[in-house]
Amino acid sequence: MMIDSFIIGAGMIPMGKHKLSSYSGLGVPAALRAVQTAGLKTSDIQSVYCGHAFGGMLTAQRICKEIGIGTIPMTNVDNACSGGASALNAAVKDIAAGRIDIALVIGIDKLTQFGGGTLPLVAEDPEVQAGMVMPALYAMRARRFLHDRNETAEILANVSVKARRHGKQNPYAQFRKEVTAEEVLASRPISDPITLLQCCPTGDGAAAVVVVSAAYLRQSSAASVRIAASILHSGQATSGFRNMLHPDITYHSAREAYERAGFGPEDLDVVELHDAFSIAELVYYEALGLCPEGHAADFLRDGKSTYGGQVVVNPSGGLLAKGHPVGASGVAQAVEVFWHLTGQAGTRQVEGARRALTHVTGGGIAGMDHGACTVHLFETVAS
Amino acid sequence: MNEPTKDEFDRAVADSPYADLDIDTRVDYVRRDGQVFLCASQSISSGSLAFPQRSTCQMTGTADMEPICIGPDGTLYSFSTIHVSATRTVPYTIGYVDFPNGLRVLAQVRNIPGNMRCDTPVTLKADAASWWVEPNTHTDEA
Repeated sequence: MMIDSFIIGAGMIPMGKHKLSSYSGLGVPAALRAVQTAGLKTSDIQSVYCGHAFGGMLTAQRICKEIGIGTIPMTNVDNACSGGASALNAAVKDIAAGRIDIALVIGIDKLTQFGGGTLPLVAEDPEVQAGMVMPALYAMRARRFLHDRNETAEILANVSVKARRHGKQNPYAQFRKEVTAEEVLASRPISDPITLLQCCPTGDGAAAVVVVSAAYLRQSSAASVRIAASILHSGQATSGFRNMLHPDITYHSAREAYERAGFGPEDLDVVELHDAFSIAELVYYEALGLCPEGHAADFLRDGKSTYGGQVVVNPSGGLLAKGHPVGASGVAQAVEVFWHLTGQAGTRQVEGARRALTHVTGGGIAGMDHGACTVHLFETVAS
Repeated sequence: MNEPTKDEFDRAVADSPYADLDIDTRVDYVRRDGQVFLCASQSISSGSLAFPQRSTCQMTGTADMEPICIGPDGTLYSFSTIHVSATRTVPYTIGYVDFPNGLRVLAQVRNIPGNMRCDTPVTLKADAASWWVEPNTHTDEA
């Protein structure tokens, strides 16, 4: 029988350019906040899972040795942007199997080490050799979207406008200044039709959650959220046609998550999805089942994905405004929804939030829509 | 202790890694009668296609890929002009080209008009150094 998992502590650092911080300098404050809010001591942690893409060797150990955590199992997870959420998935699986009762999950990355520009991809990939960069992958998706849906670039810009409006309320967001659609469209071209303000920023960040078993939860008085589903999928390569508006990996991951959790997209109050570039949010509205296929533009235009609408998508500001230090993002999303489901999200609180979804896709590899995808579903715990 | 047998050595040789980073000697395209074709491959058993050429089927792992030629005409599924790169001269344009046999290839796109749209017919072109696609003028004229 699978044992349920619960988040009982969460922490993150404000995303931004923290050039004077090492990986442990980034990770320690987030980890300590998570442990402290869980009502635990660092010595209570039984296993650590650390997601990152660019941390180098032994990232978890380099963080944990600074705060008295040692000897216990530590696993470092690289799944590109899905690394943090994959680490959460690994923790949930160990708890479900009864191996441990208290896990610390860290997501972290420091992108300023590369100086800026596009994310460095694996140079041995044949599409990277042919000139592929991440913005181009999304830009081709955007161009096809505009073509198939008879839309203009303004709909892309409006994704960024919403992200910035949400991010303004989030003290942990890298960008907290609102922008207009005109400013988005007039910003520097990156990969047509994607402009600078439609791209997630270069930044550094860390987030952490404490995940416990049902048995430990009974001893805890900390605020808690149940992890109703934790799903990890990989891409399936094809050398032929792929509909770029129908990312199979997200469709399949989301369907499995809803089935596992016993509730669906219509039940969600909060969604944190992978809006690395503006077009992604539109494509993922449909892939996650928030709206029917073909209706993403109207879903945004009609205000259904913001406060007062059907579901608040990316109340944190998302990757576009909050920031996207790649390995950190999956855990930072879990922190954000934990805060909403436990009534701790401050002025950006989604009132009455009871169910939430987080979603991260990882990496561009030739022949795949994405290399990895994680979907988590969360719900409040009845008191 | 005896030396490894010939069978043991033969097996180790059969297990040698693929030289898939040997881009300099890899032949990606040929020119024939003024037309350009890509050097691709196809699995005998599964029919899966691949470009660049490879020895093992991406669908099944079977080592039965045979060389085939692709082109010269295809359709541009989508494309983007890239303005930021740490390694290349910008701007440059890439796009996914769908060929009639089902293969999709990421290609450099050149000589594009300002109003080019998705699904534009394109043709393979090449010089001594590289290959690319550009809008298919003979279709435009038809």
